[in-house]
Amino acid sequence: MDIGLLGQYLANGIILGTMYALVAVGFTLFFGVLDVIKFSHGDVLMLGAFTGFTAFLGLEFVGVTDPWVQVLVVTLVAVAGTAFIGAVIARYLVLPLKAAPPLNILLITLMLGTAIREAVRLFYPNGSNPKPFPALLPDASTDLGNFTLRADSVILVAVGLAVIVGLHLLINRTRLGLAIRAVAQDEETARIMGINYTMIVLVTFAIGSGAAAFAGIMNGLYYNEINFGMGLLLGLIGFSAAIVGGLGNLYGAILGGFLFAALQTIGAVALPFASAYKDVFAFGVVIAVMAWKPTGLIAERTSDRV
Amino acid sequence: MSTDTQTAPRPTWLGLPPLAVGLLVVVLASAYAWLFLHAESQVVVLVLLAVAALAAVVGGRTGADRVLATAMSQHSRAMNGAIVAGLLAVIALFATDHFPLLMLTTVLLYMTAALGLNIQFGYAGMVNFAGAAFFGIGAYTAAVMTTQTGLPPLLILILGGVMAALIGFVLVIPVVRTRGHYAAVVTIAFSVLFKTFLEVNDILGGPQGLMVDSMKILGWDFNASPVLFGVEMSFYLNYALLGAALAVLAFVFTRRLERSWVGLTLDAVRLDDTASACFGIGITRAKVLAFTLGNVMVGMAGALYGMMISFIAPTSFTFSDSLLLVAIVLLGGMGSPWGTALAAFIVIVLPEKLQIIQEYRFLLFSVLVIAMLLFRPDGLLPRTVRAYIPGWRAKP
Amino acid sequence: MTRPTTDAVLEIDALSKTFGGVTALDAFTMSVRRGDIVGLLGPNGSGKTTSFNAVTGIFPPSGGTVRFDGADITGLSPQKVYAAGIARTFQRSRLCLPLSIFDNIMIGNHGRLTKGLWFNLMRRRAFRREFEQGYEDARALVRTFSTALADRLFEPVGALPMIERRRIEICRALISRPRLLLLDEPSAGMTHDETTQLMDDILDVRGRIEGLSIIIIEHEMGVIERITDQCVVLNYGRKICEGPYAHIAADPEVQRAYLGAE
Repeated sequence: MDIGLLGQYLANGIILGTMYALVAVGFTLFFGVLDVIKFSHGDVLMLGAFTGFTAFLGLEFVGVTDPWVQVLVVTLVAVAGTAFIGAVIARYLVLPLKAAPPLNILLITLMLGTAIREAVRLFYPNGSNPKPFPALLPDASTDLGNFTLRADSVILVAVGLAVIVGLHLLINRTRLGLAIRAVAQDEETARIMGINYTMIVLVTFAIGSGAAAFAGIMNGLYYNEINFGMGLLLGLIGFSAAIVGGLGNLYGAILGGFLFAALQTIGAVALPFASAYKDVFAFGVVIAVMAWKPTGLIAERTSDRV
Repeated sequence: MSTDTQTAPRPTWLGLPPLAVGLLVVVLASAYAWLFLHAESQVVVLVLLAVAALAAVVGGRTGADRVLATAMSQHSRAMNGAIVAGLLAVIALFATDHFPLLMLTTVLLYMTAALGLNIQFGYAGMVNFAGAAFFGIGAYTAAVMTTQTGLPPLLILILGGVMAALIGFVLVIPVVRTRGHYAAVVTIAFSVLFKTFLEVNDILGGPQGLMVDSMKILGWDFNASPVLFGVEMSFYLNYALLGAALAVLAFVFTRRLERSWVGLTLDAVRLDDTASACFGIGITRAKVLAFTLGNVMVGMAGALYGMMISFIAPTSFTFSDSLLLVAIVLLGGMGSPWGTALAAFIVIVLPEKLQIIQEYRFLLFSVLVIAMLLFRPDGLLPRTVRAYIPGWRAKP
Repeated sequence: MTRPTTDAVLEIDALSKTFGGVTALDAFTMSVRRGDIVGLLGPNGSGKTTSFNAVTGIFPPSGGTVRFDGADITGLSPQKVYAAGIARTFQRSRLCLPLSIFDNIMIGNHGRLTKGLWFNLMRRRAFRREFEQGYEDARALVRTFSTALADRLFEPVGALPMIERRRIEICRALISRPRLLLLDEPSAGMTHDETTQLMDDILDVRGRIEGLSIIIIEHEMGVIERITDQCVVLNYGRKICEGPYAHIAADPEVQRAYLGAE
């Protein structure tokens, strides 16, 4: 294999890894503050992509055609709208079940994911068919031998990584992040210290869902197509990535995201069987990792008091 | 239920003793099932649904439910016999109709599979999001073996279960070693992996799927329409009877398992594995046992399902289908076999009958499960405290 | 059984446990004589529960040995420790709340139940006999605590008040006829009167079961004084004092570390 093709796969893997990491970060944030898995995350992502798509149609309708304005507005609307939905889900479905067995929240959000998916399929105009997502980023490219470096890919990766770094700074360097970490450490103490617990949980869910919407827009811009079922696989991959990295750990989520993308890429390129088996391979490895390290690569803190 | 029931007044309903109430309910329920499966017009279906809702409310208000529960526990042999008789009567009434029998058999097979999940999930607390995958393993085993080998199909039915258990062993290490969310991701990953594998694998027919040969027992071909008393019956009658046998077997198995030390052990592992370990309970043994037994039941149901519909494709065994199986367990009530039976009927038959919701069924059931988890987490027929020997009373 | 009743049934020698860099238990040594009730005292976080967990195999100790009836049981699994004859209760009640009283007690009886699938599913007559035997045993045991409770064996535990739950937890530990019972703060969450009742029950049980030794973690000094034969005081994972109650109560270091602080 020549170096150009390798570069192409590498670039593709980095884009996928950035997307997966953004989704995994959400899972890890939710788990951090509430010790719950919100499995509807992938479908919330899909909802974000559709919100963005709707915003694009709206812009076209009112005659705003500048692609930079469009991409900015689309992203903002999608992130804000989805962040709001994330907070609503936390408020009405997740918080009420906080005292119930953790599995119930996993189940309720799994069902919620199905409900969102089905609702988009049934109620979005012509929702059961894929939608052509507009290519809003410049499509200039530079040829480096066999390797074509596309400007939109570079922008996607750069902005995606910037969002991840931004989230990292938000969690680790700001007062809000401090409050989130305090709640994650010890809910009771955080309450006593005067932190508005419910507010922090809602904000965290909003942030995680916003990140997912961003990943959804990235996905649309990269593949130029979105569909109602896109969230299921992306959510599952994000979940797997968060778990493989070790739940509740931001670096674990990022590591897991890129690891999964690497597995898929290796599965498609370097293994002797057909590239169609790439997901089979990647999920097979996830299962194997779980057998080897039952609490993820970066172990979760255990808190089983006896 | 307390042990000193002999001193408590025996509950009655409208002056009827428990057994009479129980038998009456079985007769009414069988008649209802027949009417419901028979109904064509949407109005009739809606009226029947309203009747069922009304009956549930009135029964609950007037205490009929408690009298029924007494009948089930004090006269379990008679009640179980009556229910099986009711089921056979409904099957017999549809002996010549393809569609109702197909639906009924599907209910029975989904019920069998969901009972398997119940052992894993309701008792041992191991949620399995790959139910449809294990169902599919059974069906694909049936497809390959009925067409490629000369083995008797009844043996293949069992092998479908064995194969599901064997492939389950591959998952058992990560499932047993991990807890809660981590175990969930293992089965979810397997569910997606399985369907993707089927779609890309040419030997197993790829996205087009495979033909499955029919069930045959001693030269009796299930796909041939039997002629009884000079009338040609639906060939689904064969499958309905065998499906009923399988479901009854699965039910008795699940019940006896629950009402035994093994069931107690599984409950203990689900509720508190640390404390269980301190009382000598082998956690791994219990989990492997529950996972394997459950998968055998799911696989056998899948094998017979494959033989019945004679053509299988990967789209029948998706993650959404796995969720549907989990939904059956949750709607019925975790660990409640009768709840599983009822929920299987609702989840399978309702969308078929009510065409306006056919398209919306995944949406409807997911919303229903959400509401159930929020407002009635114990399910439609909540599990009761374990009675090891039905009708047993302490000697004074 | 020619052993004199003063023999040590449990000998803990230099037992240590570290979590990451934190030493929860530091070279802890103690022994329990057959038939004694030993009080284990110390401020919160002094390593009392940790010592129970290390002995019962919930986590392996970092160092030291545990001998039970002369056999080395250091680092054995909880299942093997239970089989050796040690049963325990938990600080935060760990009953299975949706299950019945009988179910919970039978969980404690696990070692004597027939667990084969074939027996449980197919030999229902034999199973019935075993069930009836279990019922008689459980009923007799519960009756020693409360006759009213003994008539309600098939009611879910979750509906019962705390003191009844504690009693059931103790029954669950006793049904297997252990030779050593570890009670982790059985009076937690109960009123003074309830505590007194429960301690009466515990003394009563000790009187009935020949050779049963008990280690009890307890905060209330009155309780300790009344029921224990020996006491061991822990502070920061180290033993700071041991002896009869009068001795430890007079010890200045104990007063500083524990009595003064509480």
